[in-house]
Amino acid sequence: MKKYFAIFSLTVKEYFVYRLNFILWRVRVFINLLILFFLWSSVFEKNPQFGSYSKDSMLSYIIYANIISNFVLGTRTPEIAGYINDGKIINDLLKPVSFFTYYFTRDLADKAVNMFFFFFELALIVLLFHPNIHLPKNIFFGIIFLINGVLISYFANLLLSFIGFWTTEVWSPRFLFMMLLFFVTGSYFPLDLLPAPIFYLLSLTPFPYFFYLPTKVLLTNITAQQFGTVSIYQLAFFSFLWVFITWYLAKFAWVKGNKSFSFWGR
Amino acid sequence: MLNTIRYYLRLYLLFTKFAYRTVLQARLGILFFMGAKLVRFAFFFFFILIIFGRKSNFGGYTFNQAILFYLTFNVIDTAAQVLFREVYRFRPMVLSGTFDLILLKPHHPFIRILLGGGDILDLSLLFPYLLLALFFAFKITSITFLSLASYFILIGNGLLIATSFHIIVLALGILTTEVDHTIMIYRDMTIMGRFPFDIYKEPLRGVFTFIIPIGIMMSFPPYALFGLLSPFSYLLSFVISSLLFFGSLKLWDYALKKYQSWGG
Repeated sequence: MKKYFAIFSLTVKEYFVYRLNFILWRVRVFINLLILFFLWSSVFEKNPQFGSYSKDSMLSYIIYANIISNFVLGTRTPEIAGYINDGKIINDLLKPVSFFTYYFTRDLADKAVNMFFFFFELALIVLLFHPNIHLPKNIFFGIIFLINGVLISYFANLLLSFIGFWTTEVWSPRFLFMMLLFFVTGSYFPLDLLPAPIFYLLSLTPFPYFFYLPTKVLLTNITAQQFGTVSIYQLAFFSFLWVFITWYLAKFAWVKGNKSFSFWGR
Repeated sequence: MLNTIRYYLRLYLLFTKFAYRTVLQARLGILFFMGAKLVRFAFFFFFILIIFGRKSNFGGYTFNQAILFYLTFNVIDTAAQVLFREVYRFRPMVLSGTFDLILLKPHHPFIRILLGGGDILDLSLLFPYLLLALFFAFKITSITFLSLASYFILIGNGLLIATSFHIIVLALGILTTEVDHTIMIYRDMTIMGRFPFDIYKEPLRGVFTFIIPIGIMMSFPPYALFGLLSPFSYLLSFVISSLLFFGSLKLWDYALKKYQSWGG
């Protein structure tokens, strides 16, 4: 366990080596949140209701979704593809640690840094907009969905990086994934604003489990456990299923990739 | 003068040809990139449909008008990427010392570091965006030849602003060796231009019109098309874009004086 604490601590320290880079990254996060707030505040300026959302419920969704997405999507795994391509991965393979746990620890460090600074940025947003934020209502299920979201995101990201075992074109599939992730996970608007058939089709994919459902479940009263015609238990089952599928695929790609991997000197 | 233009045009075409050949090496990448860009375009189209479809006349604009703002954003943003893609690759040049070799060449460095990597993928998207923009423009009944001409002139003005921002990113790249996040901050800020600028409240609207003129860059062309711009607004947009352009050149000169050759 001690070695994983060391990995965690070193990963956190890495962020503070390139300070300007770090500050600019946080500026980007803040600008994106600011734009989203200005946009939705404008939408609600003249109309109190948008679909089933009031201004307060929409801004609460945006805040919670951003907190959760910062936690779920924070990852260091994209670097793995580059390390596979240039052979540096051998350094990680030689370490007396489990590769999956090693990178999960690095991911946790990334999430911790993300969350720490995000709360300051959020405080600024709250000071600017004075939104009436709803309190979380369904913490137990919210945490279950959140943990599953973190795991699905981690394994899906690993799987994308393992493409590097077979090709050097590793950035473009990730770019497509990021675009899909950005748009169909509910970062711009809650997915239940979509027409019902599209929403149900989406719930069969892993995307809503990243952070839309954790947010939605957290903000939904425990007595209202229905999401349209789907119950929270069915959704929980699907989220566990997606954890298993993504874990299995990542493990499979890792084993196969290691067998086909070769490198020349270092 | 004519010879100089011909010389730079030949250089530009040569660098663009090299860039296209490099892109064509990664065929699978082309497929994924194009797919991702089309997903992004379709998503925002749908997003605008949700917002402006549900809320008729949101911000005083119809759906067709809102789409025109979005398409104008895409035309300017894509044209800027077609022209200035090389800026995204500037950081490794500074870090490795390759930039020194570019400075030693007998041509202006901008032909290499600003314009030297034309993006064929974005070029193939630019024309459909332009045609779609014209399609929606002609759906608006109040369009005249003059408003259409003003629209294109202000798109040109928007591109001048985009050029200035890219020169500023290059200058900051020399001063700080940081390019990746600064160019992405510029891209993040331009996102606001996907929607009509008057939906944003003050002070954001003022800041992004007069200080960081994203509003002039992205929203003024459609305003001109709808006949919403006063002569003073035209004058203001040209003054601000010119000031920004000359300011960016000054910053570039300053950065070059401070350059100490980081890499090598």
